[in-house]
Amino acid sequence: MSGSEAALAVSVFLACTVEAVEALTIVLAVGSTRSWRSALYGVTAGVLALAAVIAALGPAVGSIPLGVLRVAVGGLLLVFGLQWLRKAVLRAAGLKALHDEQAIFARETQRARGAGGRRPGLGSIDAYAFTIACKGVLLEGLEVAFIVLTFGTNQHDVGLAATAAAAAVIIVVAAGVAVRAPLAQIPENTIKFIVGVLLSSFGTFWLADGAGAHWPGADASLLGLIAWTAACAIGLVAWLRPTPTAPLEQVR
Amino acid sequence: MKRGLLAVWEFIVGDDWVTAAGVVLAGAGTALLQSAGVVAWWLIPLAVAILLTRSLARHRSR
Repeated sequence: MSGSEAALAVSVFLACTVEAVEALTIVLAVGSTRSWRSALYGVTAGVLALAAVIAALGPAVGSIPLGVLRVAVGGLLLVFGLQWLRKAVLRAAGLKALHDEQAIFARETQRARGAGGRRPGLGSIDAYAFTIACKGVLLEGLEVAFIVLTFGTNQHDVGLAATAAAAAVIIVVAAGVAVRAPLAQIPENTIKFIVGVLLSSFGTFWLADGAGAHWPGADASLLGLIAWTAACAIGLVAWLRPTPTAPLEQVR
Repeated sequence: MKRGLLAVWEFIVGDDWVTAAGVVLAGAGTALLQSAGVVAWWLIPLAVAILLTRSLARHRSR
């Protein structure tokens, strides 16, 4: 496996891990408070909808010429990655609430309990549990699908990207089934920061490449880009972090 | 249709369209410089640092 393939696999694996953890929390909340059967039907419906989206978009994205693909997908990935990175920097600087799976689980559980009695759906399915689980899987899964398709097609290795994504989902689901609780021990905020750096770095690399630039060191320059983006983000965290007020100023 | 496009916009761009516009300009600038024979691989990494700083500074000043 080359360096860029390893970077691709790590990026997709980490991105999919955080999305899978978030979807798992929602499914656990509605499953444990409403109906496991309805929640699992919702998960199945969400996965099928995602598969339909991937089946429709995958070949279309794959048929775009590489130069155009790199500009379009690199640009989209960079915009998307900068959105992730901005939120991650704000969280690290203490200016945005940290992502807390326990708190989200508690909130979703409370909502599910407050949604009243069983809502009739198709047959004996609880419509609330079905809808929330389906929506959670679909929305979190769309980000995964976007990352897998963009990374996979640009590197001509959708199989590797899909394998990394599947590995992340299987590990998270297995861990969730084992502990039967939200995976709050996973350092999600740190992973989101790393993913933001990786998405932005890959986006930068592909956009410049598609625009006709030649990277010094070819694929190896990706490591330099990752270091540059990480250094910028860490520097911005230090700049944004509120400084404690000096005791003298407090007296005044 | 309109709701679908809005959802895609929100998904990719979020609430900071200036950053998205900056990325497009940086990509176009790189292509223009390269076609004029100027080495321009540095432009987008520089733009990333500027755009991220601008976006966060805006948040800080709120």
